Amino acid sequence: MLPVAHVGHWLWALYLPPILIVVGSIVRAKISERKKNDRSSD
Amino acid sequence: MSLLHALPLAHALVARKDLPIPAWLFAWAASIVLIVSFFALSAAWREPRFEEEHWRPIRARLSRDLLGMPAQLLCGAIGVFLLGVAVYAGIHGTEAPDRNFTITFLFVTTWLGFPLFSVLLGNVFKPFNPWRAIGRTVGGGFRVLAGQRSAHLPYPERLGRWPAAIGLLAFVWLEIVYGANGGVSVGLEPHAAAVAALLYTLYTLAMMVLFGVEEWCERGEIFSVYFGMLSRLGCFGVSEGRLGRRRPLSAATKWATVPGSAAVVIASISATSFDGAQDGAFKNGIEHTFHWFVDRGVGLAGALHITDTIFMALTFLGVAAVYLIGVRGMSTVQGAPPAKKLRSGFAHTLIPIAFAYLVAHYFSLFVYQEQAQFTYLLSDPLGTATTNLFGTASAGIDFKVISANAIWYVQVGALVVGHVLGLTLAHDRATAYWGDYRQAARSQYWMLAVMVAFTCFGLYLLSVANA
Repeated sequence: MLPVAHVGHWLWALYLPPILIVVGSIVRAKISERKKNDRSSD
Repeated sequence: MSLLHALPLAHALVARKDLPIPAWLFAWAASIVLIVSFFALSAAWREPRFEEEHWRPIRARLSRDLLGMPAQLLCGAIGVFLLGVAVYAGIHGTEAPDRNFTITFLFVTTWLGFPLFSVLLGNVFKPFNPWRAIGRTVGGGFRVLAGQRSAHLPYPERLGRWPAAIGLLAFVWLEIVYGANGGVSVGLEPHAAAVAALLYTLYTLAMMVLFGVEEWCERGEIFSVYFGMLSRLGCFGVSEGRLGRRRPLSAATKWATVPGSAAVVIASISATSFDGAQDGAFKNGIEHTFHWFVDRGVGLAGALHITDTIFMALTFLGVAAVYLIGVRGMSTVQGAPPAKKLRSGFAHTLIPIAFAYLVAHYFSLFVYQEQAQFTYLLSDPLGTATTNLFGTASAGIDFKVISANAIWYVQVGALVVGHVLGLTLAHDRATAYWGDYRQAARSQYWMLAVMVAFTCFGLYLLSVANA
């Protein structure tokens, strides 16, 4: 049986994915832009 | 320990709910709405639309009736009278907060009612402001007797709205931390509230003598600044002595030009957040910290006050940090103005969020407690069961007037709408700063992250408080 008795203590983590997805997308976009700028300056 | 267990519920009176989907899925859905709104704004909003108010006067007769001296005198007199009733009831009435006119009038009717009416109708607090009324009356009397206007010190520009920001935190501290007292929505004792009102009156009048009535109301008087800030969201405003209509939200863009304005709106958001988190998300942390102080010899009440003060300060810093992260992110986009200009230039985008948090956290309390305000508290303001002025002293609160699920949907709706409006204001300001709409959209990625973070945090606080 899965130890689900205390899973309620971690429900707050379910509110994080939207924030992480948006921040992750921003970081990814920044890295792509930097690589593109580096390539065009080369 | 018994003191902690006697803590009041979060001020938003709530109850269990049976929702069709889990609360955390509402946060995901709200975030999707924000993301879709962001892309829609990026594609379609290519030039600023809120930098000008597009103010148009309303009918001159109506403007004269509403802004003329008779109306000002009447509203001012009503404000002073009600302040007097609140002070009197606090000093001479029952010490039970829920039966005394003072607590509900100050912390629910005024503190929650004026924001709502300010957004809908404009700066309605200004004519009813009792301290402004007293200050203007005294100033007018001085002019008549001395034959000249009273001289004032120039207000230090760098001080800006910082006194209002600190005062707002102090007011909420008084209500939530000092008044943490067991079992009722606001545990502050009516006598303490009345004394605080008197002290605030003395302080405010002294500041008005120093700097001038209107100057102090514009910069330092807590309620004028706070309610005035929220009134900037609405479509009614006064220009050159005339009442008019303007484009909604447009007046907000010029609000945060004074130092300390960002602190005011951040204080508002953090105060509401702390109130919601105190008995929910922060409960374990508060308990641990409370015991830490008690174990080191601090008295129970002192330990509770210190602990709550620390967490309230941390909440303020946390909200400020999230906003500054958004500003820092914007500053990395090519063509960004200096960081200082960004910090003040985007502070107004948080005003809809402050209002959304207020509605979400206190909507149900307002619906319930206003029933009391206009029934038994009106008929028996002292709560001593010796008067029945309007025959409603035996009335009660109907808690079934709105269901727990309806409260949740209002909360979610308020947060979503508030954050979409915040995003819209931010995007509009970005198009003004960057010129090129593509760069403007790029600059708003971080503000989108800020809005999603505030939305998820707000819904998390509410879901824990509602559980």
